[in-house]
Amino acid sequence: MAPALFSRLVTLASSLVLLSGLAVLWRHSLAAYIRTFARQSFLIVLAILLIAAQERDVRLCVVAALVLVIKVVLIPRVLHRVQRHVAADFEIHPYVNTPLSLVIAGALTLMSYAVAAPVVSLADLPTRGGIPLALATVFVGLFIIISRRSALSQIIGFLILENGIALLAVLATFGVPLIVELGVFLDVLLGVLVMQVFVYRIRETFDTIDVDRMKDLRH
Amino acid sequence: MIPYLLEALQCLLTLTLAPGLIGLVRLLKARLQGRRGPPAWQPYRDLAKLLDKERVVSTQASWIFHATPHLVFASTLVVSLLVPLVAAPLPFDRAGDLIVVVYLLLLGTFFLALAGLDTASPFGGMGASREMTIAALAEPTIALAIFGMGAGAGSTNLGEIVARTLAHPEATLSPGHLMAFAALFIVMLAECGRLPVDNPATHLELTMIHEAMILEYSGPPLALLEWAAHMKFFLFLSLLSNLVCPWGVAVELSPRTLALAVLALVGKLVVLAIAVTVLETRLAKLRLFRVPELLGVSFILALLAITSSFLVR
Repeated sequence: MAPALFSRLVTLASSLVLLSGLAVLWRHSLAAYIRTFARQSFLIVLAILLIAAQERDVRLCVVAALVLVIKVVLIPRVLHRVQRHVAADFEIHPYVNTPLSLVIAGALTLMSYAVAAPVVSLADLPTRGGIPLALATVFVGLFIIISRRSALSQIIGFLILENGIALLAVLATFGVPLIVELGVFLDVLLGVLVMQVFVYRIRETFDTIDVDRMKDLRH
Repeated sequence: MIPYLLEALQCLLTLTLAPGLIGLVRLLKARLQGRRGPPAWQPYRDLAKLLDKERVVSTQASWIFHATPHLVFASTLVVSLLVPLVAAPLPFDRAGDLIVVVYLLLLGTFFLALAGLDTASPFGGMGASREMTIAALAEPTIALAIFGMGAGAGSTNLGEIVARTLAHPEATLSPGHLMAFAALFIVMLAECGRLPVDNPATHLELTMIHEAMILEYSGPPLALLEWAAHMKFFLFLSLLSNLVCPWGVAVELSPRTLALAVLALVGKLVVLAIAVTVLETRLAKLRLFRVPELLGVSFILALLAITSSFLVR
């Protein structure tokens, strides 16, 4: 593949990853959040495969397969089960309303361009165009965590943040050692399983998964 | 001389093909919904029928009401001279770029809203207020998306953008280009009164926007307004298709390349019409209060398009 075409494709994949993160800000249904997360992870698989094909790196193919199994299939399945189980269909009244969320997300993207500018101008990687976009995905994930009320949406926010970090790692380093990747994946998987237990507990205690209600614990 | 004949050809194509495009969308939609639907040439018949009827005008109507159909029709027709439908360097390119195109279309919208208010019918006022709400939200998005497209090509001139894209085909894969396309597509749905924003098939007073404004019109003025709405849809679709996928647009003039360009245009329009139809069949109309959210999405897309065009070179 020609280097120019390769770098365009990588930038395109990164912006699609960011866009699917933004899609969460617009949708209202929790099932749609989970599907969006699965789609975003699939886009990351494509980005990793693209880099693997360019670098002829077998290890990256293994990483892509792991992402496919864990983030596209396993975690969404777990989350769908949780969502059905706690019978929560919609994100109710986020702290920040939709149009404002979108504007804030736009500002976060601009900010990440500003923050990443020195890195991008120093790097001579063909993938440098995607670095600010991956960073913006991290910020958007963080923003989802702080602006949504339901525990499930916050998990999705965490996973989107994690996706941003994974994309950043693969864009900036062309794959960290396999052992590190394995550690991260296990971490995420265990994190989701533990959080799933928490969601069940919150639901049991408060009859809702609105984490705002946890303030009641102070009294 | 020849280039000006080309402009005449573009005008003629817009006038003749636009009702057919709408007819095609209606037919496809009917088929997708399991109805037989009227044939694709039904809009031509409707226009002929309306042009033949008498006009009924309220005694309260001012000159705005009389002038609006002509103004809307004329401004849309002028746009057809500026959009590269079949050939890329047009002689009128010097007269106006993408910004002129967009604001000519908005001029029509503005007068339509005024005409809706003019006769003081409650529906007209309602439609006008809704239309203005949407136009006010759509306008910054269009401006940003244009600058996104323009920043990639280094010019806001439509002919220039198309020629640049033909010369550098890999530029179509750049995220700025694609996101600007998506933003413009959403704005197109809003501006042309297509489904998630306005239902073009309904006369239900609580949901309609475009229909509410033209409710007071009858006969030939109504025909002009309908025809202008068809042309606006046609022009938006051909603008989108030629900006994103300009292949087939004639760069040098010969009968063969022109014939090819017309065929390519029809082909691209059919593909886009199918896309719009499928989208409209799958989507329900958004609640009016969620329309700003949709346009917010489109605004963000345009913003991302422009940042990635400017900051990633």
